[in-house]
Amino acid sequence: MRLTRNGSRTPLRTLAMLLTALGLGTATVAHAQSEPIRIGLLPPLTGPLASPGREMVDGFKLFWDQVGNTAGGRKIEIVIADTTCNPDQALTQARRIVHQEKVHFMVGPLCGHEGPAVAQVSKETGVPLVMDAAGADTITKWDRTPTVVRTAVSASQIGHPFGEYLYKELGLRNVTFIGQDYTWGHEVTLGAVRTYTELGGKVAKIIWNPLGTRDYGATIAAIPQDTDGVSAVVVGVDRLRMFEAWFNFGMDKKLKIHGGYWMQQDVLPQMDDRAIGLIGNSLHYAAGLDTPENRAFTDAFARKHKRLPSWFAESAYTAGLWTKTAIDAINGKVEDRAAFLKAMRQAQIKAPRGLLRMDEYDNPIQNVYISKVQKIKHPVLGEVLTNVPIKTYEAVSQFWKWTPEEFLKRGPYKR
Amino acid sequence: MTTSAILQAINGTSLAALLFLLASGFTLTFGLMRVVNMAHGAYYLLGGYIGLSLAERTGSFAVAIVGGGASIVVLGYLIDRFLIRHTGDNHLAQVLLTVGVAFIIGDVALAIWGGDALKVPVPPFLRGAMELPGGLVYPTYRFVLILFGVFVGAVLWVLYRKTQIGAVVRAGVDDREQVSATGIDVDRLFVLVSAVASFLAGMAGVVGGAFLALYPGAEWEILVVALVVVIVGGLGSLEGAMVGALIVGLLDAYGRWLLPEFSYFVLFGPMAVLLLVRPRGIFGRES
Amino acid sequence: MPKAARILLALVVLAAAVLLPRVAGPFWLGLVTQMYVFGLLALSVDLLLGHAGLFSLCHASFFAVSAYTTAILQVRHAVPTALAAPAGILAGTILGLVFGLAVRTRGVYFILITIAFGYVVWGVAHRWSSFTGGDNGVTNVPFPALGTLRVESPTEYYYLVLAVLVLCTIGYRVLVASPFGLTLRGIKASETRMRSLGYHSDLHLYVAFVVSAALASLAGVLYVYYNRFVNPVAASFPISVEVALMAIVGGTGTIVGPFIGSGIILGLRNWVSSFFELYASVMGLVFIVVVLWAPDGVVGLVVRLWVRAVKAGTR
Repeated sequence: MRLTRNGSRTPLRTLAMLLTALGLGTATVAHAQSEPIRIGLLPPLTGPLASPGREMVDGFKLFWDQVGNTAGGRKIEIVIADTTCNPDQALTQARRIVHQEKVHFMVGPLCGHEGPAVAQVSKETGVPLVMDAAGADTITKWDRTPTVVRTAVSASQIGHPFGEYLYKELGLRNVTFIGQDYTWGHEVTLGAVRTYTELGGKVAKIIWNPLGTRDYGATIAAIPQDTDGVSAVVVGVDRLRMFEAWFNFGMDKKLKIHGGYWMQQDVLPQMDDRAIGLIGNSLHYAAGLDTPENRAFTDAFARKHKRLPSWFAESAYTAGLWTKTAIDAINGKVEDRAAFLKAMRQAQIKAPRGLLRMDEYDNPIQNVYISKVQKIKHPVLGEVLTNVPIKTYEAVSQFWKWTPEEFLKRGPYKR
Repeated sequence: MTTSAILQAINGTSLAALLFLLASGFTLTFGLMRVVNMAHGAYYLLGGYIGLSLAERTGSFAVAIVGGGASIVVLGYLIDRFLIRHTGDNHLAQVLLTVGVAFIIGDVALAIWGGDALKVPVPPFLRGAMELPGGLVYPTYRFVLILFGVFVGAVLWVLYRKTQIGAVVRAGVDDREQVSATGIDVDRLFVLVSAVASFLAGMAGVVGGAFLALYPGAEWEILVVALVVVIVGGLGSLEGAMVGALIVGLLDAYGRWLLPEFSYFVLFGPMAVLLLVRPRGIFGRES
Repeated sequence: MPKAARILLALVVLAAAVLLPRVAGPFWLGLVTQMYVFGLLALSVDLLLGHAGLFSLCHASFFAVSAYTTAILQVRHAVPTALAAPAGILAGTILGLVFGLAVRTRGVYFILITIAFGYVVWGVAHRWSSFTGGDNGVTNVPFPALGTLRVESPTEYYYLVLAVLVLCTIGYRVLVASPFGLTLRGIKASETRMRSLGYHSDLHLYVAFVVSAALASLAGVLYVYYNRFVNPVAASFPISVEVALMAIVGGTGTIVGPFIGSGIILGLRNWVSSFFELYASVMGLVFIVVVLWAPDGVVGLVVRLWVRAVKAGTR
């Protein structure tokens, strides 16, 4: 502390200070080992994504409570900073937890556009960032940072299998794509459009809706008459509006709609039995997944929070599991950042959502589940709506079936 | 194509009905009391949330509407009486103060109702779709919303134009000093108009919460659109709020249908141009 | 306060600012840099608000347009800072020339029209994603460099911002004390009187608007090199509201006011939120308290207390 404060007089000394701090870190490992490991969690607790932010905290804490808040023989302390889903705030909060709270690594952020801000802090301070759940493709493709690894998902990673599913399994040939008009929405939607059209499918129309679109009546009126199926990528409150509009306009009697990214667990309590039987998502997690790991996780989560976890909770839980695995592998020496990052990259994880490992571009290779909304009898919660997988694409890479070089050369998905 | 065009017209009108409920209160309080109340959106949100809780307890949509509106009347009165009253005619202070109030209301609502988008449950007979002449299928709720908006608009208009109280309010909009000189209790008049405005905002929250859902941040989204309505129509004018709501609703629906790429300009672009040409809006008068 | 005391106080504040990096850790240094940048933006808003009586809610537009211009030139076209930064300021100022038309209106209409302008710019930043990068914005902006002179650390950047700030406040001081500044305050006090005296009030307000936009653009350039990225949030309505509130909370019509306000609001946001979840309520309370008990902002309050203390002392 003293050192840092006295050291930052001139640029040269700042550099010296940084080096000293780094050197100090490794030199005093033996001493530091007795001290707790501090993890900085960066959820949005207020603002438009406050609710997923809450899920993120609940999932992360659940994991660490289950393992007694220890890893690698050291106590774990979690420092939570509210990013409010605002990049400026994310930047200062990330700096705060790094410099003031002295966290050993960061987990987060959740909002896509905060991703670059927090990665920036990781880049300038060297403090590792475990990116969860912000999903911008570019972070693990064109704009990588050596100190950033991702444990959640790349947006287009869930889009690619969905395009194939539309063509091959559903036999659709003239699909209308409804997409949310921002980066995540573009990447998920256009990922599906690409695999679907490469197989020979025809796009009837792509309809982009800004975030917070009030009236989905206009969207529904714009769906071409001759389309044979609709794919929906909608987020936030728009999910409810889309749902209501679809049924209220009687579209359920005319056409089939399939959610590429739509009916996540957190929105299902606000929906009703009309949702049953719809394809809700093409996602790397479905709460209704029937594996021992997922049952254990969902039951524990349901007992504690009286609801089923969404993918944000699972993702944060798994980020906890993944970081603990890495910390254990290096015997708690998180001060050695390079070793920690290496352990993160080499870990094999048996998460609630399935087997996970990192590809060479620091993004998980994982299953993608096409799931249907079903009403199930849950041991803790009774009757609930949830997503039950009906088709599993195993070990999906963020590059799908292309080589990384091909994909990277093609550039990002843009509207 | 024509079916779509007609559908969009109805869509736009149903949004207009909701916007009118919120904008009419805003415009009246400005017209009479010269108060810019930026907490109006927060009133909408809180009224909606209270209505939601009432609807869940009692199962009655009517109770939700009345309860949501009435609770905001109480809150609005307190805020008027103890806070806004102290700002006099200073718009700047009013904006700052009411933004502060809106922050607090939004925060408290987040603490009570959480961050999930919640929908006010609608009674069964308003759910689903109805068939309109010409084979058009349209959501029942939104169709009834149009009728409701027209009904409220008509009631307000009659009150405003055809009753003695309305005449006093109109006189107050034109010239406040003169009204108080005639011995009318201006204070009581203010309380009355502000109660109506609060009730409309709270009610709009319940009605809108069943169709747009309620969530943190909804207060600002709806406020900004309601502001456009008020500005386009002309601040302080009831007729302006009606016409403005219709224009904004239709622009929004047709704009999103025909020019989806430009949906932000469709609302704000024309408004900026209109204001440059006619700064006081369509029905606004030069002061 | 006597003039000598004022100058002394200014020097003390300046000395404290210069010495700050010696005592503050990197987080505080970064936060203070951010306070300076937003304080400058608030100062630009206050040129209209405190001196001309116009409440603009579109200053995030100039701020963002300039930040985007600089970032895009520097990142995508490898244009050096010496050109990219002035280009950013120029772009923001040109936008100010257009939006300046809003001075045709007054009072609440001016507020509302500027809200509309602000939304248009935000919409462009958000929707024109092939150019602006959509909601990811433009990332990887380097530290500024002038030829061989390059900024290489947050501490150096802090000093750069501080230097720009000092120059700006001196220029600002000269501007508001000039006949032009007097005319603006005359218009604020009574426009009809100034008109009847033969002043072309619309033109004066227009010039003030453009100058204010230029200052906001300068803040935008400082912002983009501080953040090292820019995205549509920079152009959003909440930023415009927040900086206006900074000026009001600190004290309008003063030079230190906007900076104090920026310090209070950013401080609250970053510090209170670290231990108290309902920090938006705290902000709300601050606004209410300011309106009811400190209508002239913190500066006004301090001056009032000072006057009272002096009176009590002489009694």
